[in-house]
Amino acid sequence: MKEFARRMVGIDRRIIFLLIAAAVLLPLVKPFGLPIKVSPEVKAVYDYIEALPERSVLFLSFDFDPSSKPELEPQAVALLRHAFRKNLRVIGMTHWLTGTGLADGVFSKVAAEMGKERHKDYVFLGWSPGGGSLIIAMGQDLYKAFPSDYTKTPTRGMPVLDGVQNLRDVNYLVSLAAGGAGIEMWYVFGKDKYRFEMAGGSTGVIAPGLYPFLRSGQINGLIGGLQGAAEYETLITQKGTATAGMDAQSAAHFVIIVLVLLCNVFYFMLRGEKGRPN
Amino acid sequence: MIFLKRQLPLVITFIMGVTFTLQYYIPHPVSEEAITNVAKWMQIISGFALFLGLASLFHVHAVKIKRQVPGWGYSLVLYAGMLGMIAVGFWSHGETRVDGAQTSFGWLYDYTMVPLQGTMFSILAFFIASAAYRAFRARSREASVLLASAVIVMMGRVPLGQFLVPWSWDVTQWLLNVLNSAVRRAILIGVSMGAVALSLKIILGIERSYLGGGRDQ
Repeated sequence: MKEFARRMVGIDRRIIFLLIAAAVLLPLVKPFGLPIKVSPEVKAVYDYIEALPERSVLFLSFDFDPSSKPELEPQAVALLRHAFRKNLRVIGMTHWLTGTGLADGVFSKVAAEMGKERHKDYVFLGWSPGGGSLIIAMGQDLYKAFPSDYTKTPTRGMPVLDGVQNLRDVNYLVSLAAGGAGIEMWYVFGKDKYRFEMAGGSTGVIAPGLYPFLRSGQINGLIGGLQGAAEYETLITQKGTATAGMDAQSAAHFVIIVLVLLCNVFYFMLRGEKGRPN
Repeated sequence: MIFLKRQLPLVITFIMGVTFTLQYYIPHPVSEEAITNVAKWMQIISGFALFLGLASLFHVHAVKIKRQVPGWGYSLVLYAGMLGMIAVGFWSHGETRVDGAQTSFGWLYDYTMVPLQGTMFSILAFFIASAAYRAFRARSREASVLLASAVIVMMGRVPLGQFLVPWSWDVTQWLLNVLNSAVRRAILIGVSMGAVALSLKIILGIERSYLGGGRDQ
């Protein structure tokens, strides 16, 4: 038995890779479709957008690049579907240069699906350098920070920006962030001075670090990872890639838990041995 | 020259640091105009920083290729990728789409950059699983607590876990909202106080390492 435990502790990592690959692929081929529970932090974002009057301004900051696409694109799609369904005006931008094409693609895709027009119902401003100072520039004067949008159309006079001079005129801001240049930066340089309500959407790995902001009310809601995106899809009753991916994530989590527990069982079996594993 | 290299940057840092700390508390039109203009300067300076970063990256990898250090082939691939992307970007006038049709720049972005970055990130799942199997052991009381909470959170954050162990959802919410928040808040307060102290040291000219060269510069 001890010999078996010893062999299992030193198992070839390619076997673990195969198990994870199977756990991810099989549910995608044959989903088991378990119900998604909605957390209060995701519901808070949904409720705030739901309560906004028509033609209110939702600002969506795509603070991620293609590496976080599987987690954050479904959040962006679900938020845009909700905003367009509510007939809100949406302003988009990104702080991540390599995320520009991705963000524009999401806007174009969802707008076409919902029959919305660029420059009338939404605008994607694109990327500009500066990070925190860009937020301050937008807080002072949006048109100085972005004289033209991603399509090089002058921003001044755009119907979608009617009545919007700076960030103070934004009704709600959601930053979809994969790292430092995102939610915290928007709070520190934006919300704190220009007084708009904001929420965050993040990858699963940084979500726990954002809970203090949520508890203190610095952000009023948080969509965390693929699970958060699936919860939002449940709320808008329009399933997408997040709901489909949750089965794969469930299975992968389950495999990792089983592996960790098994490894601990083998570890305890070998614990008393001389030269035991550590 | 010493004045330009040492005293002038320190004077600029002190004046700008003090002025724009006070500016935050003065909502006068003159003060607002000042921050509007300075924010624009900072945006422009950040743009130059991007070029500096790019130039530095080119330089580092050029040296590696020239000296043929181990792995210099990767630097060559980096050069080819960057120069190729820049050339195609200029060719497409920086547009990913024109009249709904994808440009070659857009094609490169969609079919090389997006899948490559996605692949890099998704490989993590495999390595995390392998590392967790080998390293996540209940060696001590503290490690056991960490192991138990990790298992509960991994269960509570996915539908299968919530289905098999229904209480894992509530416990996960409590762990994230109470214990995790408290610890993260403590870390954040510590980091923020450190940032304030460092900012003061820079404004007052005590911390000068940003000038380069060493403490006595």
